[in-house]
Amino acid sequence: MASTPAARDGVSGFGAMWVRWLDRAPFLVALLILLVIVAIRSRLESGVLTLDELNVDTASGLTLMLAATGQTIVLLRGGIDLSIGGIISLGTVLAATHFGSDPVSVGAWSLAILAFGFGAGALNGLLISVLRLQPFLVTLAAWSIFTGIATMILPTDGGSVPEWWTRFGYATLLGLSGPVWVLLGLILFWYWFRATRLGIVIQATGSNERSAILSGVSLIRVNIATYGLSGLFAAAAALYLTTQTGTGSPLIGRDYILPSVAAAVVGGISLFGGRGNLVGTLIGAFILTIIGDLVFALHVSSYWQPVLSGLILLVAVLVSSLTEKSARRQSQ
Amino acid sequence: MELLEVSGLSKRFGGVVALSEASFSARAGEVHALLGENGAGKSTFIQILAGALHPDEGRIALSGAEYRPTNPDAARDRGIVTVFQELSSIPDLTVEGNIWFRREPRTLLGMRDKREIRRRTEALFQRYAFPTLNPGQELRRLGLAERQVVEIAKGLAQDPRIFILDEATSALAARETEWLLDLTRRLAAEGRLVVFISHRMGEVRAVADRLTIFRGGRTVAAHNASEVSDDEIVTQMIGRRLERLYPERLPYATERVALEVRGLSSGARLSDVSFQLREGEVLGVGGLQGHGQRELFQALFGVSRAEGESLLWGKPASIASPRDALIGRDGIALVPEDRRGQGLLLGKSVRENLTLSVIRRISSRGVLRRESEAALVKEMIDFLRIKVSSPEQQTDTLSGGNQQKVIFGKMLLTEARILLLYDPTRGVDVGTKSEIFQLMRDLAAKGYAILFYSSDLPELVNVADRVMVMRQGRIAATLAGDQISEDAILRAALFEEAA
Repeated sequence: MASTPAARDGVSGFGAMWVRWLDRAPFLVALLILLVIVAIRSRLESGVLTLDELNVDTASGLTLMLAATGQTIVLLRGGIDLSIGGIISLGTVLAATHFGSDPVSVGAWSLAILAFGFGAGALNGLLISVLRLQPFLVTLAAWSIFTGIATMILPTDGGSVPEWWTRFGYATLLGLSGPVWVLLGLILFWYWFRATRLGIVIQATGSNERSAILSGVSLIRVNIATYGLSGLFAAAAALYLTTQTGTGSPLIGRDYILPSVAAAVVGGISLFGGRGNLVGTLIGAFILTIIGDLVFALHVSSYWQPVLSGLILLVAVLVSSLTEKSARRQSQ
Repeated sequence: MELLEVSGLSKRFGGVVALSEASFSARAGEVHALLGENGAGKSTFIQILAGALHPDEGRIALSGAEYRPTNPDAARDRGIVTVFQELSSIPDLTVEGNIWFRREPRTLLGMRDKREIRRRTEALFQRYAFPTLNPGQELRRLGLAERQVVEIAKGLAQDPRIFILDEATSALAARETEWLLDLTRRLAAEGRLVVFISHRMGEVRAVADRLTIFRGGRTVAAHNASEVSDDEIVTQMIGRRLERLYPERLPYATERVALEVRGLSSGARLSDVSFQLREGEVLGVGGLQGHGQRELFQALFGVSRAEGESLLWGKPASIASPRDALIGRDGIALVPEDRRGQGLLLGKSVRENLTLSVIRRISSRGVLRRESEAALVKEMIDFLRIKVSSPEQQTDTLSGGNQQKVIFGKMLLTEARILLLYDPTRGVDVGTKSEIFQLMRDLAAKGYAILFYSSDLPELVNVADRVMVMRQGRIAATLAGDQISEDAILRAALFEEAA
């Protein structure tokens, strides 16, 4: 029954305001971290606050952003998707081995790859609900299987995509590059998706599965849609990745599995489901992408990059959890 | 013609018969109470009506037409809406998000139409005079009573022909209960059928036109409410005569102070609460829900923080976590509010639940001693007369009353002699209630000191030696002896100048 400063925090002006703001926009922490990083970089280098820099940074971060978008939907559902690693790898391999030089072939195969991504994810969702298995295990197995298939098709990096396809990252419209337009599209998608019935149901199921069932939600359908969408975004990430690398890479997907989770968590998505905003994830992915540039600007060894990523992850999680605690105290 | 006609309804779970040729018949425009002890088959019955379970045998007719719902949505489509005791609210959705969940009005782009949702919510609240609720508030920020009200709103939003309320009042305080009873009568007057399940006889009396009694999965009787006495009903429910619900209240309190609290405060919810709880005393805590009772219990048990002093058996104590409260004979034990969420590990056995808090005591060098554990568990099961097939039975398969007994056992095994009981009879059948009251008085006789919150006024009046009434986080009045009455408690809870 000891008194604590935290207990009194509930009534103090600034603390209360911060808590209320953070409750409404859980990505504020990520936004602050981003601003700090950008501020430091712009002190050390010139040209950080330019449209060119935005275009370049987004181009190098978009694969992670797309993968993390799918991961975010799964996390909101209260699950996790490791299979995106396999889907990304297999996606790049399929593109690099099947794309012809004409737009028709590229378009058809792109659609096929997206359909494969959705189908693979839907299968995950089906297995999770029908066999009542842990999402972690099912998607871990799927990752392994798809990676295996990818290496069967293409044992090492190789294959090719048309030259015009690789120009997507540099093409600009109204000064903004293709990747920036995709990023804006993702934000629009989110504000639409979260207000749709499917979006509401996915988040509600992640918030309290039992209550959702009692309200008539069908878990099979929710899981198929959730993991299907995750697979779809992973396939999109794979397609974009081929515009950057120009090849198929049977193992490259694993580089995006845990970073996609980290981006979401930095962005304020709860690992327990039900709460979060994709904008936070996108900011999180952006931060993880430009940390390398920050390390470079600081003139320290590049080995600091993962250390810094870890610290940022910790800070973001800590701030969210402290806020959630004092918000609970305030509302009591 | 009868709106709902059920005959020969049977349902088995493995070898257990939950319903055996049950029948039920009710017409539109009436409030029909469904009574029975926990385990009588009421839950199974309404889950079948709600499409959540499928009967093995039997026939259900709606206005004469065959009714066989295959899932909850199918039941809803036919106008049967159930407010389950186990709440179906989504913590991260707002009040209105919950009310219209999966039935949101939508704009052309398939997005929820916020303005239309707000308009409909306000119309609904106004039409049925709902207690004040902020439609935009998230559910996880609300208490049990408010979540229950949202659940009722969610049911009404579906414009039901048959509205089934399963223990909907058990989470509500006096004022909200009064509102719900009014609402029930009004829904019946609108031509709907309300099936009302409650363990509180007063409420059943206040609203029911007819009543049907279940026992052991069978229908034992159906009455017009005006033609049957309370005694007859209770006898038919439990299959024997219950001598009396409340035990004799002999004074056991000594001069010795077990728990003293001075100036306990926590934000706006608890301010300057001071009292003494004596050895052998049952001290009741009353008042309208949400006036600091929950905060008081949580602060005393170290679940939440508060400023102030507390003394256990005369010695100053600093209780910052339940670990500081659970210190053996001189400590404090709690029976929490939310039995399923806070009190029990539902997937675990009765044995594991009972000994969870005392694992240290029955272990030597970190290894659990099976024999001492088995002995303790058997002792508790016998002492509390917990009905189990074996100590290994999972607690989620027990009836509500038996689950509550397991929690009592868990608490008693801590050996603490200061007991905090937060609404211990919520959702418990009348037979078990009577056992719990007897147990409380017996423990008082042995020198236990008991702080007892109840949302049911007659319980406080009949079981407590003194009653503290809380209002806005303060103790508005402390009543003793002849002063204790439902009237006096309500008066103190409601008005500034208390008796």
